[in-house]
Amino acid sequence: MTLQKEDKSAYEAFLKKHKIILMFFILLFICLSLRLFYLQIIKGGSYEKVSQQQRMHSTYERAPRGVIYSADNIVLADNEFTYAALFYPFGQQQTPTNESIKELNKILGRDVKISADKCYRYGRFVKLADNITMEEMFKIQEKKSILKNISIVRETRRIYCYPEAVSHIIGYTGEISVDEIEKWSEQERKIGDYVGRGGIEQSYDVYLQGKDGGWQVEVNAKGYRIKAFKYVPPQAGSNVYSTVDLKLQKAAYDALKSSSTGRGAVVVLDTRTGAVKALVSCPGFDANKAGAKDFGRYLKDKNLPLFNRSLQAVYPPGSVFKIITFAAAVELLNIDSEKTVRCTGSFELGNRHYSCWYKPGHGAVNLISALARSCNVYFYQLGLKLGIGNLEKYARKFYFGQKTDIDLPNEKKGFVPSPEWKKSKLKMPWLYGDTVIFAIGQGALLVTPIQMAYVISAVANRGVCRKPYIVDRIVDFNGNEVYKHALEFGGRIDLSDKTWNLLYKALLETVESGAGIRSKISGVKIAGKTGTVQNPHGSDHAWFVSYAPADAPEIAIAVVVENGGGGGLNAVPISRKIYETYFNIESEKEERQ
Amino acid sequence: MILKTKFFKKLVSDVDWRLILALLVLMLISFTAIYSASFGCGMSFKYLSIQLLASGMGFAGLFLFASFNYRYYKHLSKFIYILSLALLISVLVFGSVKRGTKGWFDFGFVSFQPVEIAKIMFILALAAFIDARIKDVKKISFLISVFALLAGHLVLIMMQPDFSSTLSYFPVTLVLLFMAGVNPFYLFCIVVSGCLAAGIPLLGTFLNMQRGGTLLADLALSLKSGWIVVYIVVAVPFLTAGIWYFLWKLRIRIPVIYPIVLCGAVLLGCAASIPVEKSLKDYQRKRLVVFLNPKVDPRGSGYNIIQSKIAIGSGRFAGKGFKKGTQTQLGFLPEQHTDFIFSVIGEEGGWIMAQLTLFLYFLFIWRALAIAKGSRDRYGSLVATGIATMFMFCAVINVGMVMGMMPVTGMPLLFLSYGGSSMLSSLCAVGILCSIRMERHTY
Repeated sequence: MTLQKEDKSAYEAFLKKHKIILMFFILLFICLSLRLFYLQIIKGGSYEKVSQQQRMHSTYERAPRGVIYSADNIVLADNEFTYAALFYPFGQQQTPTNESIKELNKILGRDVKISADKCYRYGRFVKLADNITMEEMFKIQEKKSILKNISIVRETRRIYCYPEAVSHIIGYTGEISVDEIEKWSEQERKIGDYVGRGGIEQSYDVYLQGKDGGWQVEVNAKGYRIKAFKYVPPQAGSNVYSTVDLKLQKAAYDALKSSSTGRGAVVVLDTRTGAVKALVSCPGFDANKAGAKDFGRYLKDKNLPLFNRSLQAVYPPGSVFKIITFAAAVELLNIDSEKTVRCTGSFELGNRHYSCWYKPGHGAVNLISALARSCNVYFYQLGLKLGIGNLEKYARKFYFGQKTDIDLPNEKKGFVPSPEWKKSKLKMPWLYGDTVIFAIGQGALLVTPIQMAYVISAVANRGVCRKPYIVDRIVDFNGNEVYKHALEFGGRIDLSDKTWNLLYKALLETVESGAGIRSKISGVKIAGKTGTVQNPHGSDHAWFVSYAPADAPEIAIAVVVENGGGGGLNAVPISRKIYETYFNIESEKEERQ
Repeated sequence: MILKTKFFKKLVSDVDWRLILALLVLMLISFTAIYSASFGCGMSFKYLSIQLLASGMGFAGLFLFASFNYRYYKHLSKFIYILSLALLISVLVFGSVKRGTKGWFDFGFVSFQPVEIAKIMFILALAAFIDARIKDVKKISFLISVFALLAGHLVLIMMQPDFSSTLSYFPVTLVLLFMAGVNPFYLFCIVVSGCLAAGIPLLGTFLNMQRGGTLLADLALSLKSGWIVVYIVVAVPFLTAGIWYFLWKLRIRIPVIYPIVLCGAVLLGCAASIPVEKSLKDYQRKRLVVFLNPKVDPRGSGYNIIQSKIAIGSGRFAGKGFKKGTQTQLGFLPEQHTDFIFSVIGEEGGWIMAQLTLFLYFLFIWRALAIAKGSRDRYGSLVATGIATMFMFCAVINVGMVMGMMPVTGMPLLFLSYGGSSMLSSLCAVGILCSIRMERHTY
């Protein structure tokens, strides 16, 4: 409407250019609007999710593991609270500042180092330091202005009250590995969790493990906590009541420790129920040090303290196996128990001779005294008469070569050799010599101490087997019983009454006047059998299996002293100490020996 | 007294109410967003009160400039240009340093950024220059003198250094030249050589930032060796000559000057890319290109873009609500009350508010262009077009940046971002627009 006076055509050109500019601006405006629409309406949902994710943060508060008690309610494994310093990598901040690390090192007197690399690896958070004491924690809280990107969380640490004596029963705990997280993915384990390793800690880990609680918090761009949304209190794990009699356990451990080599195992079973009263493997270890640097010392130790000998070590049973040969002979050969055989100290088979352990010879021995005095020559003969087939059958009948299925991890099966095995593995035929040494428990036959205790407990019960167990009941933190052991028959060894009677007589005789005389205690009738295993790698292993009272059995004990020498001399006194503790008999009578 | 009432009567009857309404609503949105953005860091009233104070002063300036006849600027143009240079020089001498830029006059309680005023003064001076020499637009000397005027400002601003403030000078100059009637082809050539000068080093940086992509990595390698520049230099003349010859055969006659100018522009751009590459530091170049793929450096140069996109996107349709935006309140969004104020609006007000803001902004620019169209003389329309272009490109660069379409530069969103100087100078510019509008019937 207004007119550029100079020139009409110039004005029209101006209007045209003005229109172009306006169109260009409209185009730009449409571009911006389309982009806005794309970001907010089309992609809005996914951006909203991201914005939620980056402001919400979960922190963990560890649940304490359940407490483990002995049979008489003494605490075996407990928890104590410690504090750990964590760093949550966040946004642009992937490592804590050097300043705060320096301050932390000053307070703790440690040398904590951190690299960005490490932060990426752990993803969620980085543990800078653990086992922080209360005083150190307060000091850190005072310096909150410098250390504000370091969070302190309460952690629980396992305390083992009787470190060495009960170490193998309880086991220890260790940080979970990445493989295990994947393996137990349905249990939602996370990095930094502790899991049981060995012993009850491992086999009852599911119960002992509590449920971690924690905060769900809103954090700002620097990762500082702004607002807490939800707090889930941690739920402590269930308490486990074991059947272990701490007094017996300690007595057995001390006795074994002071034995000739200090290596070996003791298993004490309640013959009436199968409850494990004591289960010792010597030497023990201090589980409180698990994860610490000195724990590595145990791995290097030649005495293998981490190895649970009572379940995992296999030894030939030696003369203890004569119990089985004895039973098989009575059952199958209809043998006259009074008939004597002359032992000259050696036994000829073909062109080889097999000696008796007592070089001068036992003289005339019958079935009972042969077992009581552990005469090898007598049992060589029995073995030859029975043949390998029957011996193997009876070894299996007494549950050798088979796990007892005790509720502890890593139990070994042992081994019962057979002609087929020797043929296929060693490419050699089974010889009579093999049968002969099989009859006295030498050779390839291997058993674990728990199996031996199981067998002698079955003998005490005249064939009734009770499955051994170590955990009686589990009570959760509300006080509800979540698990109770039900008595289980482990099976039955079917032998005639005559066999049992003869065996009873012979085992009693062993302690009264035979090889096991050192375990004799006045007032308690003990029945047992010693064993001395010839060991090609070193000194003999000493065995003693027994039960008491012989007439109404309560406990059965299997003792093995690794490289301990003669069974009668080394293994028997350990059992004696256990019996003294069990029956509350003063040990002054020991002087008599 | 009579004069005063007469002026107000004239103002009420002649002012473009749609322009003022859009402006007021935009400022209302701005105050709300600044309050909310600074709420998270506990500075809400400080920023808001400074912004209100600046707006008050700005409206005083608006009335002042509206009552002042814009035609006087034409006569004062030389003085205005010299004054603007003096301002920019004195800030280099007496100014104080803020965020690495020596571009502020610090008066203790309040500080002022003269470059914002200098922009407006440049528009006034350039429009006057073009208006005076409108007969010479076809001459090359005209173009050279215009660019000399431009260079005077750019050099002084780059010395601060304030890269982002120079950005709005280019579109303003180009649009004014276009309006003056300079052959669009020459303007196109200028744009091409400018794009090449800035684009080649930035493309190299961008390709270097890519990891894994074999094709892109190969390209980066060949670029590093420098041979690709040689290829371009050799290929461009041949290619242009070939196309020109082909079109000639098709009886499309193009004066021979065009391909020669285009070749010259391309070669000039390539040549200029070398000093540009030298002058920009590596991290600056990274910051400029990371918007193409912010994920290559999510915690460094790409952080701002990623967070801003999350903020806008998570606002969705209706927004998270006033003071409830998590990105804003928890500090994930950087520079939220200044450069990224649009993200705050997008997050807390959602698509409705963001689109409304864009719409109001466009309404405002459209009214400014309408004032240019309705202006009584060429000078008025040039000034109005220049001001409209300045606002338009500020919006495009800033909103494009926060939505991840443009490089991250420190360009504020005029009327919306926190900043006293820009608010004051923008309102003064609106005052000049009002003056042009009010004088439209005066001959």
